[in-house]
Amino acid sequence: MCVIASAASVFGHAQEEGVTNVTYQDMLNGLKNPSAWLTYSGDYSGQRHSPLKQITPDNAHRLSAQWSFQTETMARGRGFEATPLLIDGVLYVTGPNNFAWALHAKTGRPFWRYRRDLPNNLTYGASVPVNRGFGALGDRLFMTTLDAHLLALDMKTGSVLWDVELADYKIGHSATVAPLVVKDKVIVGISGGDYPTRGFLDAYEPATGKRIWRFYTVPAPGEPGSETWPDSPELLTRGGGGTWVTGSYDPESNTVYWGTGNPNPDYYGDERKGDNLYTCSLIAMDPDTGRLKWHFQFTPHDLHDWDANHVPVLAEITIGGQRRKVVMVANRNGFFYVLDRSTGKLLLGKPFTDTSWARELGPDGRPIVVNQGTRGCIPDNWGSTNFMPPSFDPVLGLLFVTARETCATFVPEKQVITPGRFSMGGTVRRELDKAYGALRAIDASTGERRWEFKFTTPSFAGVLSTASGVVIGGDNEGNLMAFDARTGEHLWHYQTGYPIWGGAPMTYLLDGRQYLVIGSGSTIMAFALPR
Amino acid sequence: MQVIGWALAAGVTLFAAGVQNPPRSDGAALFRERCADCHGADAKGARGPDLTRLWMNDGADERAMSTIRTGVAGSIMPPSSAPDEEIRAIVAYLRSVSVAKAEAISGNATSGEAVFAGNCAQCHRINGRGGYLGPDLSRIAGSQSNQVLTRAIRDASASFASGYEPVTLVTRDGRQIRGTRKAEDAFSIQIMDMQGRLRGYEKGDLRTVTRDQKSLMPDFGTDRLSDSSLDDLLAYLAKFRIQPARRAGDTSGDGR
Repeated sequence: MCVIASAASVFGHAQEEGVTNVTYQDMLNGLKNPSAWLTYSGDYSGQRHSPLKQITPDNAHRLSAQWSFQTETMARGRGFEATPLLIDGVLYVTGPNNFAWALHAKTGRPFWRYRRDLPNNLTYGASVPVNRGFGALGDRLFMTTLDAHLLALDMKTGSVLWDVELADYKIGHSATVAPLVVKDKVIVGISGGDYPTRGFLDAYEPATGKRIWRFYTVPAPGEPGSETWPDSPELLTRGGGGTWVTGSYDPESNTVYWGTGNPNPDYYGDERKGDNLYTCSLIAMDPDTGRLKWHFQFTPHDLHDWDANHVPVLAEITIGGQRRKVVMVANRNGFFYVLDRSTGKLLLGKPFTDTSWARELGPDGRPIVVNQGTRGCIPDNWGSTNFMPPSFDPVLGLLFVTARETCATFVPEKQVITPGRFSMGGTVRRELDKAYGALRAIDASTGERRWEFKFTTPSFAGVLSTASGVVIGGDNEGNLMAFDARTGEHLWHYQTGYPIWGGAPMTYLLDGRQYLVIGSGSTIMAFALPR
Repeated sequence: MQVIGWALAAGVTLFAAGVQNPPRSDGAALFRERCADCHGADAKGARGPDLTRLWMNDGADERAMSTIRTGVAGSIMPPSSAPDEEIRAIVAYLRSVSVAKAEAISGNATSGEAVFAGNCAQCHRINGRGGYLGPDLSRIAGSQSNQVLTRAIRDASASFASGYEPVTLVTRDGRQIRGTRKAEDAFSIQIMDMQGRLRGYEKGDLRTVTRDQKSLMPDFGTDRLSDSSLDDLLAYLAKFRIQPARRAGDTSGDGR
């Protein structure tokens, strides 16, 4: 790590030491350096919890807008889903349609812009033209594209250094995930599980873009897990299982945790009888080799598009009187899970929404399903939460998650499977009048709800928390909001003008001020306390 | 987004008009009606890119046809449903106003590579190698004539590429910072400093902000660079004029 002596001397804040040339050690330090934000979740734990304490429950009502950056591109009906990285005072941001920018973190003014020239026959990428952010190592940025490539960009200029294909976009693939750099590997997932595709998790060399390993989330015939599918080699080539949300990493055990998506076709399961491993699962991987250490399937034989593409949250908590190293997931299927992160065994599983799909888990973690949703109300195809990141306050022991209370009836239907065409296998009837959303604080030790703040509609904003006891969330009506982490009391809100959808806030300290940054619609904006 | 919606609607309207009437062949008028708002009345670029330099590269007719037909995903350039004849007329007009294809090169590209390494690479990059202070020159010969390049090398301060204007900042405590300007508004300035770092400053923290008249690049007169070495350098730059591996529409590395 290089220390920026010049910046410190100009502004007289010697305690702020930026990062210029991102190293693995910098990423291990994570948010202990509050003037850097080097990975999607800020650090490897996936907690999205900053040690900063300048913005507090007492002063959050004074937060005011500092700058906006209009990106001139957006994903209609979706959100600004990326989390910017902060490296040496510069925000590196990816946007919809594979635009990207380097912005001065104090003023929002651009150093450079990048735009990929995309083909006009995109598949999944055409309907969901989003991106969730950069990964970084050294002086390079890594970005996935809607035509399912992985790029390395030069941090100083935004020039493409290398460009490799992850998969054939023409059959339905796309890539939207923010890469996770672990040691000397760029780990990336793939999108397209709503098409007849086969998901995988990959690792690439940062210097060259050469692929180091690939793990298919749907096994090949004869491989472990293939027994959970019908005996059909053809089926295993298109079983779904996307990996489009950034995972977490435990350096101590050298394990990467990553969520996998729905089996395909999404709603029609008669021709894929069985549990359909490793879809709708959490996979624990050795990042050096791509070997699977263990898996935990949240939703066996999913029929609802309930991808398990969530940020796995790593923490040490007390559960049943014992201190445990855990991985936590609030899942689309309505359950909050706490797993032992070395074995994948279930420690706790409780509903966090009013789902009637299942109300309890068996001792092995399998849901006891009472209603598959063909007759009446269960969480809709967007689930009880979705890919928007939750946050975790390790001192309070609370997980903050945007919960969705929805009601839908699923109408599965056999479908002709065509490469490059959506294969949802039916439709969903959603009863929107009954639906609402909420930011919920869940006690990680018990699964009990500590507090909630209700939103008018089922919302999609990610969450950030800080050591000062502030939680930042958002809703589909466009409000960015601050809450007291202990009580859920609303402290402040700002109407951004477009749903805060899929993206999550990030925060950093620069020249002595704590900034709060969020993307909304086509705009990135920053807030701070008045000087 | 409204802009795109409007542009798409306009494209549909134009198509509808095309169906009712025989295709038009007046490329200049079609360009002024449909393209000039973004690309400038002289096609030299406004909100959209300069189109007069496309024909420095091979295959420009096909690329221009295709781009007009399909639009540019994610930008405000909409796809066109106009009849082929009309698109061909616009392309023919653009070709007629375009800068001529680069002239034959007399120099030796291999010698030019050494000239580049010895004189330019400290600040300029080609295909991922070199410095950052000056513009990336990987594709410069595809967009600038030899005459323009010669002037830029011989008289570096005659004009500055956008995003590479030299500036000198003096901080409140008297420290001087030089660099090239990436962005500026009334209250702040963003530069790449001489160490190649991206740096932003609020003007309130600065004593002065000076736009320098003199380039950070020295003038390469004949005393520093002979005519034959210059020809070799131009030959070297011309090698990279066409890069099929690179996507034509990528806009990167130009500092903006």
